[in-house]
Parts: sequence; C-alpha cells; structure tokens
Amino acid sequence: MKTLKFLQPFCMLVFLFSCTKVISVNLNNANPNIVIEGIVSDGPGPYQVKITQTVNFSDPNVFPPITGATIKITDSSLGITDSLKELAPGTYVTQKIQQGITGHTYQLYVLSNGQTYTASSTMPAKVNLDSVTFYITNIFGTKSTSAIANFQDPAGIANYYTFTEYVNGQAINQTFNFSDRLSDGKYIRRQLFNDSSYINPGDQVAVEMHCVDNQVWQYFNTLGQAKGNNSQAITPANPLSNISNNALGYFSAQTVQTGLAILE
Amino acid sequence: MTKTRSVLLLLFIFLFIYSAQAQTNHTVSGSIREKKSGESLIGATVYLLEIPKSGTMSNSYGFYSISAPSGTYTMITSFAGYQQDTTRITLDRNINIVVGLLQKSTELEEVVVSSKKRNENVIRPLAGVQKLSVSDIRNVPVIFGEKDVLKTIQLLPGVKAAGEGNSGFYVRGGAADQNLILLDEATVYNPSHLLGFFSAFNSDAIKDLTLYKGAMPAEYGGRLSSVVDIKMNDGNNKDYHVSGGLGLIASRITVEGPIVKDKGSFIVSGRRTYADVFLKLSSDSTVNNNSLYFYDLNMKANYTFNKNNRVYLSGYFGKDVFGIGGQFSIDYGNSTGTVRWNHIFNSRLFSNTSFIYSNYNYNIDLTSNGNDLLLKSKIEDLSLKQDFQYYVSSRSKINFGFQVTRHIISPAVLNATPGSSFNSIDIQKNYSFENAAYLGHEYTVSDKIRFNYGLRFSSFIVTGPGDFYTYDSAGDITQTKTYESGQIVTSYFNLEPRFSVSIQTNENSSVKASYTRNVQNLHLLSNSATSNPTDLWIPSSPNVKPEIADQVSLGYYRNFSDNNYEFSTEVYYKTMQNQIDYKNGAELRANQNVESQLLYGQGRAYGLELFLKKKAGRFTGWLSYTLSKTEIQINGINQDSWYPARQDQTNNIALVGVYQLSKKWTISANWVYNTGTPATFPSGKYSVNGQTTFYYTERNAYRMPDYNRLDFAATLEGKKHKKWQSSWTFSLYNVYGRENAYAITFRNDPDDPNKTQALQTSLFRWVPSVTYNFKF
Repeated sequence: MKTLKFLQPFCMLVFLFSCTKVISVNLNNANPNIVIEGIVSDGPGPYQVKITQTVNFSDPNVFPPITGATIKITDSSLGITDSLKELAPGTYVTQKIQQGITGHTYQLYVLSNGQTYTASSTMPAKVNLDSVTFYITNIFGTKSTSAIANFQDPAGIANYYTFTEYVNGQAINQTFNFSDRLSDGKYIRRQLFNDSSYINPGDQVAVEMHCVDNQVWQYFNTLGQAKGNNSQAITPANPLSNISNNALGYFSAQTVQTGLAILE
Repeated sequence: MTKTRSVLLLLFIFLFIYSAQAQTNHTVSGSIREKKSGESLIGATVYLLEIPKSGTMSNSYGFYSISAPSGTYTMITSFAGYQQDTTRITLDRNINIVVGLLQKSTELEEVVVSSKKRNENVIRPLAGVQKLSVSDIRNVPVIFGEKDVLKTIQLLPGVKAAGEGNSGFYVRGGAADQNLILLDEATVYNPSHLLGFFSAFNSDAIKDLTLYKGAMPAEYGGRLSSVVDIKMNDGNNKDYHVSGGLGLIASRITVEGPIVKDKGSFIVSGRRTYADVFLKLSSDSTVNNNSLYFYDLNMKANYTFNKNNRVYLSGYFGKDVFGIGGQFSIDYGNSTGTVRWNHIFNSRLFSNTSFIYSNYNYNIDLTSNGNDLLLKSKIEDLSLKQDFQYYVSSRSKINFGFQVTRHIISPAVLNATPGSSFNSIDIQKNYSFENAAYLGHEYTVSDKIRFNYGLRFSSFIVTGPGDFYTYDSAGDITQTKTYESGQIVTSYFNLEPRFSVSIQTNENSSVKASYTRNVQNLHLLSNSATSNPTDLWIPSSPNVKPEIADQVSLGYYRNFSDNNYEFSTEVYYKTMQNQIDYKNGAELRANQNVESQLLYGQGRAYGLELFLKKKAGRFTGWLSYTLSKTEIQINGINQDSWYPARQDQTNNIALVGVYQLSKKWTISANWVYNTGTPATFPSGKYSVNGQTTFYYTERNAYRMPDYNRLDFAATLEGKKHKKWQSSWTFSLYNVYGRENAYAITFRNDPDDPNKTQALQTSLFRWVPSVTYNFKF
C-alpha cells in the first residue's frame, strides 16, 4: 500500500544519521536457473517468448540466452497450438497465433535441456485507460513528480493491472502493479510513485497499462516487494512465478493500452 | 470446566493443610517503605535473625509477612542501596510494622556494610530472573541520552537487541512479540516510540523492572518467551517534589506529592520530543508544515484508607505523531489504566484486585491525488485480575488467583471519501476471552532446598459475531461459518506447569533447575526487523493454534568477596510449537482473509549464558556473555528444513562499567559485540522486463557483519543546595564511529550498468548528547 512509500521520509529522518558505502560480500554461486518471459497480448502479433538463464552476482549483467528450446503456445479456447520459431538466440516468436483474444486461455509449453516447463494465463477483459496526468509531491523540500494512470475499475470482478512507464522513450527500471482488492468499482487515479527518477517539465511520458490475471499480478507484486524494499525490513524472496518446475519469470496473456502526456 | 474445579479443590486442600500446620505461630506483617518519600519498596528482604530460614521478600506493593512461634526476635530488613534496618519485636500476637528504610548516601568513603543476606540471587529458587532498579540504569550510556529501561535490559545475558538503537528485544530465541510487557499490570502492545528507537517508558516514572527469561511464576502468562514486569513510582507521600530533565531529543518533568500526608500520594510524569519545534522554525513551507513528535504521560495516585486497604490508580498515555504537510499522517500509541485494591484479610492473607484497561491503536490519514482516506486499527483489552498471597509459615507461601480478559481487535476500518480510489471497508472485529487460574507455591524445604512451583490453567475462547473460514492449501475459502454475538467459535484450554528448584551447595553458591510451559494466544504478524506501528495482532482461531513453548534450564549461581560480586551461568533449551510466518506476497493490511496468508512451523532455541556483576564500590558494572542458537522450521519455507531465525546471534557480549571518579564526576562506558544476524542475500541475478532482478536460493543463509560498539558517558553532579539538585550528563554513542551494518542491499552499479554491487547502510556514528537533570 501507498502508506509504505510515505513512511520512507519518516525513516529518512533517522537516516540523517546514516551513511552508506559499497562493500564486497562473499556470495555463493548458484547453478544457473532458467528464466522465461512470455507475453501474449491483444495487440498485434507475433508474440515473443524469451529464455535466458541466471548468472552469478559477481558476473557482468550479461544473461546468456538459452537456445534450441522447443516452445509451444496453445490457445485452448480456439484449440490452436503454435510451435514458436527461434528468431534470435533465446528469442522465440509465434507463427500461427497473431492476435490474442480477451477471455481466452493460453498455455505455454517449454522443453529445454530435457526439462519441461508449463504455464497458463487467461487474458482478462480490457479496462480503458482514460488519461495520464501528473501529481507533484513536495516533501521536506524534495519535489517529485509522478505519473497518474486514470481509469474506471469495473465493479463486481477482481481486476489486476501492471504498468510500464517510459520517460522520453526510456523505460523506467520498475514495473508498477495494482489490484482492485480495496478499490473495486472505483474510479482509479493510480500514482506511479517513483523515487529514483524524476520527470522534468517538457518530458514526454508514456504509460503502458496491462490488464493481467491474478497469478501474473502476484508475480509482479512479489517482484516489487523483493526489489523495491531498500530497508531490508522484509526478507527478500524470489517472486511467485506462474511457470512450473521452479522456472523464474512469468507468462502473461494481457491487454495493452498506452497513454501519453507531456509535463508542462 | 472439571479441570478448573480440580485446580480449585487442590488449592483448598493446600490452604487447609498449611493453615492447620501453622496455627501455633504469630505473624509480623506490614509494609516496607522508603523512609523519606513513603514509596513502597519491592523485593526488600526481611528475616528474623534468630530463625535463619525465615527470609521473605516484600511483594510488588511492599507488603511482607513472617510467621514464627511466640518469642522475641530481631527483625532485619534490607534492600540494595538502602541502609539496613534492625527492629526488636515481641511476637506474642499478630503485629503490624511499617519499616522505613533510608537510602545510603553516595559518599565516596562509604564502607559497604556487609549485610548477611545479600545473596538473594543465590537462594531464590527462580532461575533466569533479572531485576533492574532505576539506579541500575541511571549511569548506563544510551543513544541521545534518553535513559531507557528496555535498552538497558538488552545488555543482560539472553537478551538481544532487535536491531541498531532499537528498543525491541529478543529473549532466549523468542521473537519480539513473545515478550509480555506489563506496566502496572496492563499489557503494553507496542513498547516503543519512533519506529522503535525509543522505548515507550519514561524512566523517571518507573520504580522497578523485573525480567523473567524462563521460569516465570504461575501468575504470569500469555506470552511465550519472557515477562517484563514494570512498576511505576507511587509518588512521594511526605513532600511535594518536582524533577525533570532537558535533553537533546526530549524533555521530561515529574511532579509528585502527598494527597493526604502519609496516606496518599500522586505522581505525574510527562515527556515530549521537540524535533518538530525545529521543523516549525524553517521558513520553507514544505518543511514547517510537517509534524514529528511523541509524548508520553504517566500518572499514578494511591490512597491508604487504613492498614488493610489501599487503592491505586495508574494511567499511561503515549502517542507518536508523524505528518507530512497535509498529505499523510500517522499517529499511534498505547493507553493503559489500572485500578487496584490491596486488601489485607489478615496478617497472612494479602489480596490484590485489579481492573485493567489496555488499548493500542493507530490511525493513518492519507490525502493526496484526490484520495482522502482514513485507516483506523485498534486492539482493546479489559481485564479483571484477582491475586492472593497466603503466607502459610515462614517457609511457605502460596500465590493463587485468576484473570479474565476480554480482547477486542479491530484490524482495520477504512473510511474513504466517495471520490476516492478506495472503498470504505470495515474488517470484521475479533472478540475473545483469555482466562486463567493459577496456583503457585514458594516452599523452603530445608536450609538448602527451595522450591517455587505452580500450575497455570489458561483458556482462550473466541466468540462471535463474525464469519469464520476454512481454507485449502492454496488459501482459498472452502467453508464459511457464521456465528452470532457471544456464540463460542472455538476454545483452547492449556495447562502450564512451572517448576523451579534451588539447591544451595554452600553459603555462597547454588544450583537451580527449572521447567516452564508457556502459551501465547495473541500473535503479531511481523516480518520486519524494526518495529512497525502497523504490524498486525491476530488472536488464536480455528485456523491459528496457540503457540506453546517448553523450556528447561539449569544454572549455577555463586557470589564472591562478601557478596560484592555475583556470578551466574545458565544453560537452557526451549522448543516452540505453532510458530507463525506468512507467505511470500501476503496481503496483511485490511484483509478479511489474513489467515489464508499464514504458514505454520516450529522453533527451537538453546544457549549458554554467563553473567558477572560487581555490585558495590567505586567501580560497579557487569559482563554478560551469551552463546546461543535459534532455529525455525516453517512448512513452505526453505524446503521445510530448519534454518536460523532472524533473532539468532551466536555470540553476544555486553560489558558495562560505572566508575565514580570523585564526588562530582561519574564516568561510565559500555561495549557490546554480537555475531551478525542471519540475512537473505542473492546467489545470482537475471533479467526480467529488462530489469536486473536478484535470484535467491535460501532464506537466512548469510549473516550480516559482526556488530560492535562502545558508548561513553560522564555525569557531573551540580553543587548541592538545600533544596535544589542538578546534574549534567554528557554522552557519546558509538565512540569509535564504527559503521555497523544496519542493512545490506543490492543494486545495479550506478557508474557501470553492466555491474551489480552491494551497498551497506549504517546508522548512528558518533552521536553526542547532553542532558541536564534537576530535582527540587
């Protein structure tokens, strides 16, 4: 909840006495694990599944692609199974499925190095993104601007959303998420609270809103908890993936819509 | 119910046997007071010189009672820091004597009077008990110069700080919510201010603190790992006094005096921080419209109607307020109130009846971006507690009584304006009764063997109104049952045996053994190392079983050099059942189905504690060392295997020294060291949505760096005037400015996006402070 964000300056007062430094920590190495990212959307295809693997903490941020995997996506509502083609190392694209459809359930099948990974995701109904606006907070003299996604949440059903924000075409290093658990049927002004990068006058902001299913939202919710928490108050853990066999990553059938705004 | 009956029956058999035995004796009883102020003294020792086994201790209201055959005796009363009192008494009937003790002057040339009975710690059967008086904490350096009882107990063996500068603590492997913290018998749910950096207790208002780490007597119950029993001052019943202090962070003032001289007194003690005053001074409106402060107020009054009846009223109100310029505010605090009636039925039967109210609540107000919402949460207790102490003979004392508590927990009420993005909701309240009956017996078998044993029979009854759910393993509701108001949803009954024995091996040493079972029915869902005011308390329910702990301990106690040094060592082993954790991604806030988010498991803790204390002379202090291990096993975490709990610190050392340099100057220092606490660090990394994400393979598999710190303080006594006394205390926290790790986080290197790095955050290097204290 948003409260936690507001508690941060509260903690900062104590942190007036604090200091930070970069240290070296002797971390164990882990066996490489598979990372699968797959999306089917109501936007135009083809759709892409990316397979990479984990590296050790001390390695450079280069994540090796996994090539030669067998990947299938099934639209179980239509009864179509599509075998994906490896377009570039680790990047696989759909051939038959070129248009995702709201309400349909998609199944992912991945066979790689003798291991099978499966996932299933249902594309929820689309919720219209009305507009993108801005909200300025000024706390202890620190002014920050966040984008607001404005939309009407449909009443009576559970809705889950994720947001990607681009400032001048550059994606912000954070995936936002929202659940209507406490807001069912309300008009939502969702603040994409970002404490590390600030939007300046003249910047063009694009907000991509996705309607996702419960499991995909849970993935991004737990991802945010593991990443967004700098006080280490909460024990970090891997996000809850909807893919079987301990794979990292997610498979989402989602709607997509983009809103634009320029900060005056 | 049959169990209750058999407990009562047992009780009456006890009473009968012992009163029959003791009939030829007469009794001397009364109370022990500080002579100048009339404050009752807790735990003063009284004995008859002619009967070596006759020792007793004054109870929490200063009452004592000793029975002996007819005759003339020398009654000796002593209390640490006070001059011993010797009174000749003739016991030809039951007599009442109020003993007044004078505080020893702090003159340097004072020779320590060697009183025969300063080995209480050795002979007392209870193991794992630590007492602190305000004089013990007076000179221990603390951060920001705010004397703090909860931070001082963290320097004792078996007690660990829950993080840098934090007043939360862990006792023998228990979690922070497993400590029962009582202020004049009322439970304090959140014992801290300002996210845990200050304890909720103003030390000016506190008379006495007793910490039970294991073998708590049967009258205590409700928490798994410890009892911290804090008693407030009664107030001076002879003269009016004002005392106070000006500190860097907060100021304090205490007013006390007689209501009716020698019959009744009052004390009011207040404390407030003033960081917000500085905020107000700023001309920047984004700074000066913020608020940040806490205050607390302790109030107590008592009145003695006659020698058999005394009434006490005590109250505590504490509040923290934090607000950011009309956009966000949170306030939280405890309120407690106790009305107590001491009644002396006869010289051997002491009774106390208490009505206790306790409340902890928080309110969050959020006004931003067109949203206006108010979240309220509250836990409220109302209790009736009846305690009897029956002084059967000089060797035997029976404690018995009962307690009935009504808990009402309101997890969340969310009020949102119609235009807000949130719906107003009212999460169902939890109603429960927590009841207990107990019987305990302190019995001196011989010169050498003493027992303290008892049985507590506790029950927890969850009642309607409300819906109660059954969940499947995925956390989905499989069944809903609706209960009417007052209808019993579920009941838990537990027998909690408590047993301690001490066997004196010679005049200066003893061996103690104990076994204790404790049960806890209110559970705090907290995954954070620091105390968070919005952590959620949940009661036991059809899904959540009571937590149960069994502990055995064995100790060796020895005093040296005429009881000026005391040494003790204890080993303990504790198992904990029905421990609670929650799932990754759990939604705890404003969630009707919070129980679907929980995981259950077990814990075990064992360790060795060493304690060496120098009690008298110009140099006083102690050394405490703990070697321990605490592990938990939760189904669904770490492949269901055992792993180190957050409170696991292998080695823990505290060294405290106070040296009186001259009549004017006292210097003190403490040094602490502990093994770093377990932490979860990544074993790898990967990319999701183009963002670097860390890969975790095992919970708590790493450790934070080891912690150590030295603090220093110096107190300068001002010139003594007839009425006015003052002193200055200068202190420096973290003398050598060590950057102890508070948190270690991982991120992309800002200078090289192709790399990741670990970042250590440290708090509090060299925090100086100065405090001015006065009294008139």
